[in-house]
Amino acid sequence: MSIPVALQPATVSAKARPARRLTGFMPIIALAVLVAALTVADPGFLTQRSLTAASRTAAPLIVLAAGATLVVLCGGIDLSIAALASLSTVLLALWLPDLGGLATPVVVLVATVIGAVQGTAHVLLRIPSFIVTLGGLSILSAVALVVSGAGTVRVVDDSAVKWLDLYVGGYVPMSFAVAVVVVALIALVLRVTPLHSWISATGYSESAARLAGTPVDLVKVGAFCVSGACAGLAAVMLVSRQFSGGPTMADNLLLPAVAAIVVGGTAITGGHGSVWRSLAGALVVTLLRVGLPIVGVPSAYEQILYGVIIVVAVALTLDRSRVSIIK
Amino acid sequence: MNASTPALEVRGLVKHYPGVKALDGVDLIVRQNEVLGLAGENGAGKSTLLKALVGLVTPDAGEIYVRGEQVKLRSVVDAADHGIGMVFQEQSLVPNLTAAENIVLGSEGAAVRRGVYRWDTMRRLAQEQLDKIGSDIDPLARTDTLTFADRQMVEIAKVLRIEERSQHPPVIILDEPTSVLESKEIETLFAQIRRLREFASVIFVSHRLDEVLDVCDRVTVLRGGQSAGEVATAGAEPGELHRMMIGSTGSDDHYHENAAAPVTAAEPRLSVRGMSGKTFHGIDLDVAAGEIVAIVGVHGSGREDVCRALFGAEPTTAGEIRMDGKKIDLPGTRAACAAGIGYVPAERKIEGMVGPMSVAENMTLTKQRARCTGPFVAPRKQAGLVDRWIERLSIRTPGRDTAIGRLSGGNQQKVVLARWLVAGDIRLLLLDHPTRGLDIGARSEVYRLMRELAASGVATVLLADSLEEAIGMADRILVMNDGRVAAEIACPSGGKPSPLDLVKEMV
Repeated sequence: MSIPVALQPATVSAKARPARRLTGFMPIIALAVLVAALTVADPGFLTQRSLTAASRTAAPLIVLAAGATLVVLCGGIDLSIAALASLSTVLLALWLPDLGGLATPVVVLVATVIGAVQGTAHVLLRIPSFIVTLGGLSILSAVALVVSGAGTVRVVDDSAVKWLDLYVGGYVPMSFAVAVVVVALIALVLRVTPLHSWISATGYSESAARLAGTPVDLVKVGAFCVSGACAGLAAVMLVSRQFSGGPTMADNLLLPAVAAIVVGGTAITGGHGSVWRSLAGALVVTLLRVGLPIVGVPSAYEQILYGVIIVVAVALTLDRSRVSIIK
Repeated sequence: MNASTPALEVRGLVKHYPGVKALDGVDLIVRQNEVLGLAGENGAGKSTLLKALVGLVTPDAGEIYVRGEQVKLRSVVDAADHGIGMVFQEQSLVPNLTAAENIVLGSEGAAVRRGVYRWDTMRRLAQEQLDKIGSDIDPLARTDTLTFADRQMVEIAKVLRIEERSQHPPVIILDEPTSVLESKEIETLFAQIRRLREFASVIFVSHRLDEVLDVCDRVTVLRGGQSAGEVATAGAEPGELHRMMIGSTGSDDHYHENAAAPVTAAEPRLSVRGMSGKTFHGIDLDVAAGEIVAIVGVHGSGREDVCRALFGAEPTTAGEIRMDGKKIDLPGTRAACAAGIGYVPAERKIEGMVGPMSVAENMTLTKQRARCTGPFVAPRKQAGLVDRWIERLSIRTPGRDTAIGRLSGGNQQKVVLARWLVAGDIRLLLLDHPTRGLDIGARSEVYRLMRELAASGVATVLLADSLEEAIGMADRILVMNDGRVAAEIACPSGGKPSPLDLVKEMV
């Protein structure tokens, strides 16, 4: 084949590029602006102590949001993460006495399998992920209540999970370090393998992905597996911090996790986004939660401010040139 | 207004879309109480023109006159106020409402008082409309219990509401009304159209030229966004219309027939036996290496579904598919890809490409191994591969990392084609309207690429955009009619059949 090369000058204006690059950094910028604002409001905020406390609080949320991000990138949503994490805290607390150090991997494995079951139901029965995981949320919450006897399960010997509650170098909470490593690991795997293409194509346009021979169903089930595993890991972090498991322990993390994903700028419609963005988003959400009371915002106004900032943050971070449908 | 003033006149209408001139100065006259046929190939500008007439498309230039007065049509409501209404190709009735509700929907008038339906009034209004067309459909029947033909009558009755609205004889546009009807229902529809002529003007669009000649008084032919001429239907032949639709073929080798290589392979590459599905039955099909086989047929002939079934994207109920003698298990697009089958979908923007993803990612989406070392993406390998194909297919793009959605249609299509070529293992290409929406230059490049691929031994199944394209590109043509292969026509370079030979089998 000999085809004459007829390259034409670029059709895309050069102006679009710096703008594109900037939206990539928006989650970080939003985070920095928030820290600056909190510091201005209360100069005592920016201390090692409060940062350590905030990052320790953020760790389970980061892990939950990172896992669920994959499902969102595929164009779905996982509403069961918090309920699954609660159930996992109960299972961990119940199994720690018998299994010891093995309890952690077993719980993460069980959570992964539960994620896989939901993912499989979603792709095989062709039920929207919203519905499947809404059902999952209800079922898992109820199971947690049943197996826990509707009460907190105390952990007497927490030596097997204690390591997660230590501090690296005395300042950085181990759980936070693990959360960052998890995010980095997911990001790395996506970056160096075809998975990124597959997930994005599935999220942007499932029919196009299917007709290109992409293993769409496998990719979706895989995303639910990771989401489940992350919920299990978040549960381990919660147990290590609270010395107990509880059937509703993680339930209040669902909406913050979803908020973290969207504040990071990941499109809720799928395709565009990343786990790094969710890390930044989770930090923003956590700082709002712990920061607003610290700087003395009255609790009645706290929720108003929280809501306003979330919406403004998404307005800043979402790269609309990459998202066709805003719904 | 006197009797000779046209009911509707269009002068020099122009509409550009990025990369395409959909309308390039169309003129059209619809006289009072006349049934005007509108004919033209796909892409000739028919639907754009109709949309402009009902206010769905704002033309870039040109004028529209209704009963001698210049008008600007900004919306469907605007058009209705001027007495222009359209029965859409896809039926636009709400299935779980009654016929009466559908008829008054959007122009309730006296049927609604203080926000509440007055059922008696509504029924009376609907009955008035149905009486106009002499239909005995029960206005209180739920729409989804009616036959297709009856629903069409309801649609016509609904459109006739504009007569009360504009207080003038209406202009009714029927866009391919026969495509979903049985032959007996078509007779009823034609009787209805002749009845409409008593008090209205009608624009009738159909792909079936015999129908156009049967029911219309006059036909205007569109070609390439322009008016190619008009024909009085009395005594006219379908062939005459068709020649106007496709124009003079000219002597330039648009389809690169000189590059057509003779097919010599003894064994078929693709061999399909008795393949049946929801819309097709007992399909037998052989395609040799290096051969281009076109499947032609009217809308609803089932050819699109056959093409998708070959790729495993449409379920089959019977039959077997062999590639080079080896049986492959479909459905499932993965199995087809693994067997060396590639598919270029008709809906490029929705199914063919992932718009926000880069040229490189789109090009390597299927054959991941071509850019990977082991399980990992090798950035240098990918860059080299993608750049090579960008150059080889002369894809005009600022770079491999540009989002494919920013390229022009022709270049997007080349990237989608390249997707199947990068691994060098393609054996059969299924091209579903590969030149849809492309301009002449881009079309020609796609044709040349098809020739080169055929010469290198790739078997091709082509669903062409037009009969002319099918005849120009194919070595052999299968004519499908109502889900079955009606005829197989040899189409060698130098011995091409005429479009009429095909049309004969299609209808």
